[in-house]
Amino acid sequence: MRLLSGDARRAVFAPLDDGSGRSEAVVRRLGSAIALGIVVDGEQLPSEAQLAALLNVSTVTLRDALSDLRARGLVTTRRGRGGGSFVRASEEALTELSVGRLRQIGSTELRDLGDVRAAVGGAAARLSACRASASEIARLREILDRLEVAAEGTQQRRIESRYYIDVAAAAQSVRLTMQEIELQAELGQLLWGTPRSATELVLTIASHRRVVDAIEARDGALARELTEAHIGQITAQLIDVHVGLTRRASQPGVRAAALLPYPPAPAGVGP
Amino acid sequence: MSGREGEAIAPVASAGNSVAQQAATVVEAVVERVFHSVAAVRDIALESHLAARERGEPMRDHHITAMRGPLVDLLGRQREIAVGLGVIVSPGLLTDRPLRLEWWQSEPDRDDPVRLEVDLNRHSVGFYDYAAAEWFAVPRRTGRRHVVGPYVDVHGTHRYLLTLTVPVIADGEFLGVAGADVPVARFETLVLRELGDLAADIVVINSEDRVVLSTSAQWLTGSLADFGHEDSSHDVRPLALADSPWRVVVARGRAGNQ
Repeated sequence: MRLLSGDARRAVFAPLDDGSGRSEAVVRRLGSAIALGIVVDGEQLPSEAQLAALLNVSTVTLRDALSDLRARGLVTTRRGRGGGSFVRASEEALTELSVGRLRQIGSTELRDLGDVRAAVGGAAARLSACRASASEIARLREILDRLEVAAEGTQQRRIESRYYIDVAAAAQSVRLTMQEIELQAELGQLLWGTPRSATELVLTIASHRRVVDAIEARDGALARELTEAHIGQITAQLIDVHVGLTRRASQPGVRAAALLPYPPAPAGVGP
Repeated sequence: MSGREGEAIAPVASAGNSVAQQAATVVEAVVERVFHSVAAVRDIALESHLAARERGEPMRDHHITAMRGPLVDLLGRQREIAVGLGVIVSPGLLTDRPLRLEWWQSEPDRDDPVRLEVDLNRHSVGFYDYAAAEWFAVPRRTGRRHVVGPYVDVHGTHRYLLTLTVPVIADGEFLGVAGADVPVARFETLVLRELGDLAADIVVINSEDRVVLSTSAQWLTGSLADFGHEDSSHDVRPLALADSPWRVVVARGRAGNQ
């Protein structure tokens, strides 16, 4: 059954199979689920014991991860009756999360992520030009219309993720779609740290519209070229932000989050 | 490759007609088999509705929950065909809940089926507006069964699917739809087994010109194939399916496919 939201949720609480059993992996998984809006603001997480069992990590590891998420302001814990861990998906908390991640990740990793995004997104766009039906093309346009009127940054990022995922789905490829979902989850953690101006949003939407036009015109080569070029630009911006954060953060007494045009969040950033 | 895939089609010999007929019969039989499962889902819903009415109760949330056991049993018995099935309730039918669905899926690496959970809160960002979905809206509007797909099931099972639905109607009242998800690969296997070796390439296309199934890699499943609707150079035969007109095309391949 075609779903707009749904048991992508289940993947959030699936066992972590990277074998590391590290709390960072738990933080990354839950953090991106919060960033993508798969688990929502105010939602109660399963109990510590349940969550540790679901994710296949020890309760010690899980407690470390929860305390990290609390420090990042993404989770609050209430004691007593009706207590437990609750999701906080505020813009500030998400910004803190992505700034921390942007500082951790190296520029070569960012470039590499961009390379894979271009490969997956570009191929999906090209194949969509061969395979997308009229109703799928109409849905891509509808997503971009929603992106245009979305008020909040978080909402815009989520809708834009939908755009990329739906292009891959319109290519009729389950594997490309799954790749794109994973890439968007990873990207979601980085993008909140890079605020975008109204002009940038307009240009982004215009670029996506040109891709959909090319898909409709059955011009696969153009759809691919435009997609790759846009992802290249976004990657370059991310690298600029990363370099800027790293350089300025080396100055004593400067907190990375304070350098962003957001109100400083209460919690500390990164390790 | 540019443009649509698989364009050149050689004219078909006069024997094509009977081949097309044979292929159409096979495809229709497989589709009927799947709809038979969907009819079983519908019967579960109708029984539950009837039971409520005999007790003089209006339809409530717990009547839908009561279908859970029979639906899970049915899914277990239909593993050869369906990977998901269930009932989607007409908005406003239940007196105590505006929207409701009861849908179960089997997962590749799990023995027990999983219930599909969706966000049915109208005010939330992730609201799942099923009344607008093609597999719900079309049977509601037409009162007839419907097939959607092939399509990539983005947030559900990560499969390439066909979704087949039928309206659930009691005494002229539309109660909702019953449906089943069938992986395209499974549908293909069922058809190919029955097709045997017909002396031509068979391509099944849906109403959006998308290839549902083909016996040749020249027409890839999921791609668009423009065979035209009234073209006499190849044998195009409509299938008696549902409200979603599929067509069977018999074509001779370019590379000496007899």
